[in-house]
Amino acid sequence: MNTFIENKKPKANYGKQTFTGYLFASPWIIGFLIFGLYPIGISFYYSLCQYDVLRIPQFIGLRNYEQLLFSDNYFWLSIWNTLFYTALRVPLCIAGSLLLAVLVNNAVRGVKIFRTIYFIPSIVTGVVLSALWLWILNPQYGLINSSIAYLGVQGPLWLLDPDWSKPSMVLMSLWSIGGGRMLVFLAALQGIPQHLYEVVEMDGGGWWAKFKNVTVPMISPVIFLWTILEVIFSLQVFVEAYVMTKGGPLNSTLFYNLYLYNRAFEDFDMGYASALAWLLLLITLGITALQFRLSKKWVHY
Amino acid sequence: MWNKIKTIGGIILISALLLALFIPSSKENNDGKIYIRYWYVTGAKEQIPYHVKKFNEIQNRIVVEPTALPWNEHEKKILTAILSEDPPDVINLVTPVAKWASRMALTPLDELIKKDSFDTSIFFPALWNEMNWQKKIFALPLYSNSYAFFYNKKLFREAGLNPEKPPSTWQEVKDFAKELTGRNSQNRFTQMGFIPQYGNLQTSILMAWQLGADFLLNDKKVDINNPMVIEAVTWEVNYYDDYSLKEVSSFMAGFGYADQHGFISEKVAMMVLDNTFIDQIKLYNPNLDYGVSVIPTFDGYETASSSGSWWAAIPRGSKNIDAAWEFLKFAVQEETQLEESASQQEILFPANQLAANDPSFIKGNEKIKTLVDMMEYAHSPTIVPLVHDIFWREFLSAREKTLHKIQKPEDALKQAEDVIQNQLDQAIEYDTYVRSKMNFGSLSD
Repeated sequence: MNTFIENKKPKANYGKQTFTGYLFASPWIIGFLIFGLYPIGISFYYSLCQYDVLRIPQFIGLRNYEQLLFSDNYFWLSIWNTLFYTALRVPLCIAGSLLLAVLVNNAVRGVKIFRTIYFIPSIVTGVVLSALWLWILNPQYGLINSSIAYLGVQGPLWLLDPDWSKPSMVLMSLWSIGGGRMLVFLAALQGIPQHLYEVVEMDGGGWWAKFKNVTVPMISPVIFLWTILEVIFSLQVFVEAYVMTKGGPLNSTLFYNLYLYNRAFEDFDMGYASALAWLLLLITLGITALQFRLSKKWVHY
Repeated sequence: MWNKIKTIGGIILISALLLALFIPSSKENNDGKIYIRYWYVTGAKEQIPYHVKKFNEIQNRIVVEPTALPWNEHEKKILTAILSEDPPDVINLVTPVAKWASRMALTPLDELIKKDSFDTSIFFPALWNEMNWQKKIFALPLYSNSYAFFYNKKLFREAGLNPEKPPSTWQEVKDFAKELTGRNSQNRFTQMGFIPQYGNLQTSILMAWQLGADFLLNDKKVDINNPMVIEAVTWEVNYYDDYSLKEVSSFMAGFGYADQHGFISEKVAMMVLDNTFIDQIKLYNPNLDYGVSVIPTFDGYETASSSGSWWAAIPRGSKNIDAAWEFLKFAVQEETQLEESASQQEILFPANQLAANDPSFIKGNEKIKTLVDMMEYAHSPTIVPLVHDIFWREFLSAREKTLHKIQKPEDALKQAEDVIQNQLDQAIEYDTYVRSKMNFGSLSD
């Protein structure tokens, strides 16, 4: 009650308080302006230039974009690779995490231990994970091929085969389905009121009816959120290809960001790389907008 | 009121402290000495190079402060240092010089060379040629790699071949390789004679050089789709008439570094390798019985090899050019190079040919002698200087496509040529523009 009165009184002080507020936020604001907004803005300018960082930029108008869209085979190839990876990975990741979440949502004895066990792999990420999988997927001595060799099956070349390289990377990314995503699904599952399931039971529905008619609709906003996030992450796939394949074999793992990296930091062609970055932003925006549009059909709030 | 002062005062204090974190601490040296910073690239082991230690020992005027950069990060770090206009005074990088020189990142050394009448004929010509860009010298070569043909004598004996007669032509390589290839009961490779695409040095580039290919005409016309390169690539494609590419890929996947290297683990009998393998073999498989010979060539053609060098240069914006130059000159002296080589466990191949030909470097070792002799045939791996990385990416990708029989050699090479040419044209256009706007090239600016 006391605070209410105090808050109402000092109207004259409002401007100064705001100023103090901004002052407190100023480290972030200054940081954002210098290290966030400025680079974003200048990268757009550079995307209209020929620029190698060490020398002055030369303004060339839309030539970078024109070249990307109309005469750069690698651009389209990298888009195809990235979309392929995204389309394969996102559904599998979401479904896998959801499945695990449903499993560890059961009131079994020692369920907390299982949750921990499933969570542990996701602690390993990035370069370490790639180095590890490089060995798991080794066609000669790898864990997978030498295990299935016991069954008399000769495994594929995995990362060395242009047809298998992208699926191999998707397989590898399923490693972390028990991570943060599963935890969020688990939290969402636990928020579903029990009486809804009882209704299904009264109607004589089994586990599938419960899953389809209660679980999925109830947590659909969470699934939607993760679909959007995972699509954005997948479009930016980089580390795996950079560490394991460098884009090979036959450019089958030349993902968008790897191509961008090559142009920027191997060729020092920052203008072209900036144009690539801006196009990726547009692609990501487009796909996300499409998802929002489609979401009206299946997401229930 | 007092509270407000305290609040605002506190904020200012904290901001000031935060800002202080960004201000570089400048070290004041009032002892009259010149301190120069030296950035060099290192592998896993971080050790101060011998030429730095020795230079700091023998004189009192200049102090070199070395900083080791991790491999893979070095280019970005040097790039940002030059942009900050407070770069190190000397940098040590690996081929190509032109990548940096063409971007005005380095200080030309011509006036310094003239002033001191510095003798540049001490370097291997192949290495020295790499140091210039548009008729100006931008760096001094420190160390090189030299390549030669390594073959496994024990496997030669087992296959019934004469271990003292290594192949001298590519046809012989192909014939010997058939004898040297072994398979197990499931018909999978246990050893192979020769794998064209295994190793640092690309066999088809080597072959193209031997046949006389130039790759770049008049510094502006890319020429990859020519009969010589096509013949070289076709040789590699035809090599796989006798072996399945898929099986070879699977076999190669078992190779790694050190004792898992194909040649060191005696799974590949013949390879073109560089001088570091003499040490690696000593370290990881000392009982390996092998020979080193001249790189095979086509019947009637002279052999060819590759250089590739570690060089040192003065970045643009250095404030201690004269001191840096003193240090550079010291590092490439015959005596320094010999002592440095002797101080290392592994062979450091001197860029100074007087040092490389010195008996104390060769130590009567025929293998090292062969490697030194091969330098005479060395070509620079900087083939299209302005777009070096694009050239190699495109060439390797074209070769891969032909090996997988996705395209014919001439089609794949034509496509690569077009991409490289297009990039080169743009690079030249940009270069011309920049040179009309920026004045750079003499020591005074």
